[in-house]
Amino acid sequence: MQRFEELEHVQPVAVRMLKQMITNQRIAHAYLIHGDSGTKKRAIAQTLALRLFCQETDTIEPCLTCRDCKRVISGNYPDLHWIKPDGLSIKKEQIEALQREFTYSGVESNRKVYIIEDADLMTVNAANRLLKFLEEPSQETTAILLTKNQQQLLDTIRSRCQVIALRPLSGQAIEQALIESGVTPENARLFQAVAPQLDQAKALDQDEWFAEARKLMVQLMQLLIDKPEEALLFVEKNWMNHFDDRDKLLMGLDLLLYWFKDLMYLHIGDIEHLVLLSYKDQLEQASLRYRRIDLVNILTAITQAKRKLNQHTHPTLVMEQLTLQMQR
Amino acid sequence: MKFIIQRELLLESLQHVMKAISPRVAVPILTGIKIEALPTGIKLTGSDSDISIESFIPKEEDGLVHVEDIETGSIVVQAKYFPEIIRKLPLKTVEISTDDNYQMTVVSGGSEFHLNGQDAMEYPQLPVLHTDNSFEIKHDVMKEMIKQTVFAVSTVETRPILTGVNMKIDNGEMTFVATDSHRLASRSVKLAEDFVHIQFNNIVIPGKSLAELNKIIDESDDSLTISVADNQILFQTKNLYFLSRLLDGKYPETDRLIPEVSKTSVKVKTKTLLQAIDRASLLAKENRNNVVKLETRDNALQISSNTPEVGQVTEDVITDHIDGEQLKISFSAKYMIDALRIIEEDNVIVHFTGAMRPFILYPENNDHILQLILPVRTY
Repeated sequence: MQRFEELEHVQPVAVRMLKQMITNQRIAHAYLIHGDSGTKKRAIAQTLALRLFCQETDTIEPCLTCRDCKRVISGNYPDLHWIKPDGLSIKKEQIEALQREFTYSGVESNRKVYIIEDADLMTVNAANRLLKFLEEPSQETTAILLTKNQQQLLDTIRSRCQVIALRPLSGQAIEQALIESGVTPENARLFQAVAPQLDQAKALDQDEWFAEARKLMVQLMQLLIDKPEEALLFVEKNWMNHFDDRDKLLMGLDLLLYWFKDLMYLHIGDIEHLVLLSYKDQLEQASLRYRRIDLVNILTAITQAKRKLNQHTHPTLVMEQLTLQMQR
Repeated sequence: MKFIIQRELLLESLQHVMKAISPRVAVPILTGIKIEALPTGIKLTGSDSDISIESFIPKEEDGLVHVEDIETGSIVVQAKYFPEIIRKLPLKTVEISTDDNYQMTVVSGGSEFHLNGQDAMEYPQLPVLHTDNSFEIKHDVMKEMIKQTVFAVSTVETRPILTGVNMKIDNGEMTFVATDSHRLASRSVKLAEDFVHIQFNNIVIPGKSLAELNKIIDESDDSLTISVADNQILFQTKNLYFLSRLLDGKYPETDRLIPEVSKTSVKVKTKTLLQAIDRASLLAKENRNNVVKLETRDNALQISSNTPEVGQVTEDVITDHIDGEQLKISFSAKYMIDALRIIEEDNVIVHFTGAMRPFILYPENNDHILQLILPVRTY
């Protein structure tokens, strides 16, 4: 994705803003682009750099075919400096090297662009050095800072940049991105429902705790149908051990919520929106055991349990009560 | 691209361009050497983006054929391997060819190398320099000018513009000025009649680039052609192009710093003064600023240094003459030694304007060189 046109589908507001600035020839000296991972921060920064360096274009889009464009894409353009964290942080030395570079005139033209990825990972020293540099931009210099977490940046840096907020990815976009990165479609659907951000969703794929949590949830649901009298014991022995703090239990309750929501979807015949795709067979069997009104009551019970948990009711009591409510 | 070339010549050219290549560069393509086959000869380019060196091997020179069977084209190959390969090839001639996939084949005698190259389009474009604002200067004059100024550039990056040498051309006279804000070195030279119309003011060449240039040009009577573009300066010898980026920013006005009147002026043998200061600084090295004291006597200068933990030294230097007020002044021995070392004439003239004011030195009968040093306040 190297054209604004393509990026506009993902980030309409931000891209329209940038296009306006290019048409009006009002390029700011520094941009701060922030958004969750997967929101195309890098692609937007690169396209902006391409447009600034491309000499063959009269439109908003870079031409992508000229020598300058090709070199920006391959990373060989000498006046574009792309800074990435060296290990866990962006070090003072990296910013110093950048500053030294900028005391020279440009190699090919006098336009220079620097892009700092994960700008929130700058050490305090590095950030302060950059600040001095942001304050006194030489002409035709454009800084593009990218971050996932703009609150972690110094206020003084933020106030010197034009801030461009990228909107978070939609559930479908995350699901698509997960499938592209090799997650099975069934899991992708569940992960995007549980985790609001691409990073977190990706992490779930490797998370053993979460895999176990899913298993427990299905076991509990089977027990409720087959041997309801053992459900409480199961909650006591297995469930509470695994979901041993408030946040984990909340996640467990979410999984239950998806289960019953899916049952509801099956009832009304809406298969499109199923979340727990990998347990479709079990869901179909279970749906025969519940009336629609039961499902509504259980869903209400789960949301209430969640509320209670947030109000610091004892987790075991909440879970036990919920189990009894689900048994009926 | 294809050509057959004399190995010795190629190797010599490679050694020149290798001087510009640094293993640590931000742009990956700059770890390579660009090789261009033109109808007139072969051009090699190396660069670390601050300086770039181009070396040209003409097809024919003085009736000798250097390069044969040229098919034009260009490629970038890894600088880490290519020169070593050329050095160790068995025959006197090398055949070099490339294919469409940026593969280079090097053949000499029975040995055949295949090297992976890169597209030459990826290489930075060096500016095309206009010839109408270029001028010429002799090699040895240029070397002298570099030697006499570049030592005074600032080595700290607090004021980046001071890490360069300011080049000015006005009224057919070219001046180099370097300062680190504690001392200043200036050298000027008259250009040949043809270049009177050329004017430059705020050209600041990085000190490092000039030091590198000094190593590359040989001492000879040949002429060096200098041209200036927006962001680069080109020094051009017969077959070698040396390009350097310029420093961005405004060089401070230095003319006003040089005092016009003097209260005390001294004429003294350069060598004697240099040696005396050098001796005095032996003890001064201990203290932080390497400070020596100078005091005028009737017919001599008394140089002294005192470091309480180590000891003290005094030495009288006989002068040719001293005019004006009595004076006591302290200054950095290192700056004074640097300044005196570049003066080749026998006698040096020093103008003081009080103990707290900068003083200037220049060789007798030569107003092309001027050195200015700021004194150090001592109690």
